[in-house]
Amino acid sequence: MKKRTLKVLALGMAMTMTALAMGSTAVLAEEAAIDTSSEKNFKILAIWPEDSAEGKILIGLTEQYIAEVNPNFSYEYEYVPSADVIAKVSTLVASNDLPDLFAYAYGQPIMDLIAADKLVNVSKELETLGCTEYINEGAKASLLSLSNAEELYCLPYGMNIEGFWYNKKIFEEAGAEVPGTWDELMAVCDQFVEKGIQPIAVGGADRWPATRLVSAYAYRTMGADAVKKASYGEMRFDDEGFVTAASMIADMAEKKYFGEGSVTVDNTTAESMLLNGQCAMLYDGSWFTSSITNEELNPDGEENIGFMGVPVVDESVSAATELPTNCGNPFVLSADKYDAATAGWLQYYMTNVGNYAMSGFQSLRGYTYTTEPDELSPIVKEVVDNINSATSSTAWWEAYMDTETKVTAMNNIQLVLSGDMDGAGYCASIQETYDLNH
Amino acid sequence: MKSVLRNKKAIALFVLPSFILYTIFVIVPIGCTCIYALYSGTPGLNWKFVGLANCRKLLMDPKVKMAFIFTMKYVGMILFGQVGLGLLLALMFRFWIKRFNNLVRTITFFPIVLPLIAVGQLFRKIFEIQPNYGLFNSILANIGLTEYVEAWLGRPQTALICLVVMGLWNSIGFYAVIIYGGLLDISNDIIEAAQIDGARPIQLFKSILFPLLRPIIITCVVFSFTGSIKVFESIVALTKGGPGEATVSLAKLMYDTAFEAGNYGYGSAISMVIFVVCILGAYVIRRFDSKEV
Repeated sequence: MKKRTLKVLALGMAMTMTALAMGSTAVLAEEAAIDTSSEKNFKILAIWPEDSAEGKILIGLTEQYIAEVNPNFSYEYEYVPSADVIAKVSTLVASNDLPDLFAYAYGQPIMDLIAADKLVNVSKELETLGCTEYINEGAKASLLSLSNAEELYCLPYGMNIEGFWYNKKIFEEAGAEVPGTWDELMAVCDQFVEKGIQPIAVGGADRWPATRLVSAYAYRTMGADAVKKASYGEMRFDDEGFVTAASMIADMAEKKYFGEGSVTVDNTTAESMLLNGQCAMLYDGSWFTSSITNEELNPDGEENIGFMGVPVVDESVSAATELPTNCGNPFVLSADKYDAATAGWLQYYMTNVGNYAMSGFQSLRGYTYTTEPDELSPIVKEVVDNINSATSSTAWWEAYMDTETKVTAMNNIQLVLSGDMDGAGYCASIQETYDLNH
Repeated sequence: MKSVLRNKKAIALFVLPSFILYTIFVIVPIGCTCIYALYSGTPGLNWKFVGLANCRKLLMDPKVKMAFIFTMKYVGMILFGQVGLGLLLALMFRFWIKRFNNLVRTITFFPIVLPLIAVGQLFRKIFEIQPNYGLFNSILANIGLTEYVEAWLGRPQTALICLVVMGLWNSIGFYAVIIYGGLLDISNDIIEAAQIDGARPIQLFKSILFPLLRPIIITCVVFSFTGSIKVFESIVALTKGGPGEATVSLAKLMYDTAFEAGNYGYGSAISMVIFVVCILGAYVIRRFDSKEV
């Protein structure tokens, strides 16, 4: 009996010890998920120069983390132009040397990295870190849609709306009303052309400002998800709606609404033209506010520039409150490099970035914030109000296209602007490339 | 000497080092590119064997066809421009420009030392139309040729000409100086003898100067062909391949496909096209070289 009792006791103790050991392992494992004391050299590959607002936010917050939380944490910041980031990352992937954190591109590029298990599942990590509530819901929906995934594999680093910006002085001098519908936009453009004023500046050399115009008309006439459907084969790019949208832009170019040779103008020049009164309107994103609030770039002051969104074509298809939005280029974390020290940085970043960007830079980054800057610039306030009042959003023309189709869509829009290709030809060329690659 | 050249060990000693280097830096990369052309995607990401699918795609791809035609047009224009105008300039240096010869040669040669990106920016400004007229359109407007004011870089037909003009401005001094060096090597006695025999300038050029300059001109043709077949930087600097894909060369298409679209396999297949064109071009030039020797 004694022996049996001893055996039971021994077994019980062994089980208790095992349970305790397992428990302590679990606790250790949980603790190891966040390490805010060990050494780590954190490599960042960004598409923003160190002296840009984006660069300053990222570097400033990381330095604040080092100062306040983990003095053993260090970082390397490498800048690469956005046009080269895909090439750079694909080279690093091939050599299995992705940086800890890097800016990337939506659509097929990010989908390829997700499929190859190269990226951290951000949804799961944020849940572990208790940081899920810090991502803006609109940004989250946009990121999920643009990466075609059910869970987040990227972080936002912007919260932009797009639409037409206009020069108030030129409108006043020409006696023109701010257009609310596309027909009114065309009438206003005619009015400007008659008065010898260039109605719209388009940075056709950079291509995307021109494709955004096709996209704007397409989503106003076909709905917000038309481009996504075509990119996933549920519609065709040579469908009538897309042809009408591309033909509309070809027609506007032919009527000289974009001036002479808009194909040769880059977007920085187009922005400068609006700010200096050389054109009446410009299609651009809310990142343009940094130029509007810059006194050197905008001598007439920010009160001279207004935002009017994209004119409506059919309110029943797309309401005025539906605006094109994007979260800038996404940030992703390399799965191979992700460890407890990175988790420590990530937790700090998630908790602070919204407030840090808003209070220090008057900038929305796609994260929630609780602080308000002392004096929000009127134009930034207008943008923030528009984002907050937007009922739904839509992505841009090439957002969901595979890379080769995207290249065709972006290149051939220049031929539409120069009058060497009509709307139907443009849409057919995109569909042809799409078919060749699917 | 003959005994040395009969010694196989001596030959191996001379040839092996350069052969090894050539193998490492030329033959191996070409072999790797051939193998890569049988795959699609990005190594380490979505790299998969597709056999000859890339070759089939090459034959059907309208972009490859367009890039090939553009490259051939560019090579043709640049080759004749560089060698022809270079020869003309060299003749001017030798026979017509007596005063300030060194200064003129220096001015003609200096664009070659400028980085192509800077030259591209310069020519973008020269051909500008919006927001203000650039130098070229301003001249046209000021001499009353307003109807000819044009977005020179914005039309497929004129963008190629702009690229050729930029390419020639940037490189013509180099060819002029090489040919001028060849002209200096021709003895004055021969030229004077021909002139005493009554040879006119065209006869002098055709019967005396050109045959003697032939090896130099062939060298220039080789330089010009190999330099222009891989045209890339000037396109990136001036037109970025636009408008549309009108100025996308084979090299630019290869770069865009491999590094922008992340399809290294298909990019390698395109680079094999450039390789084959180079070999064919070299063969044609060699035949031209040996024809009348």
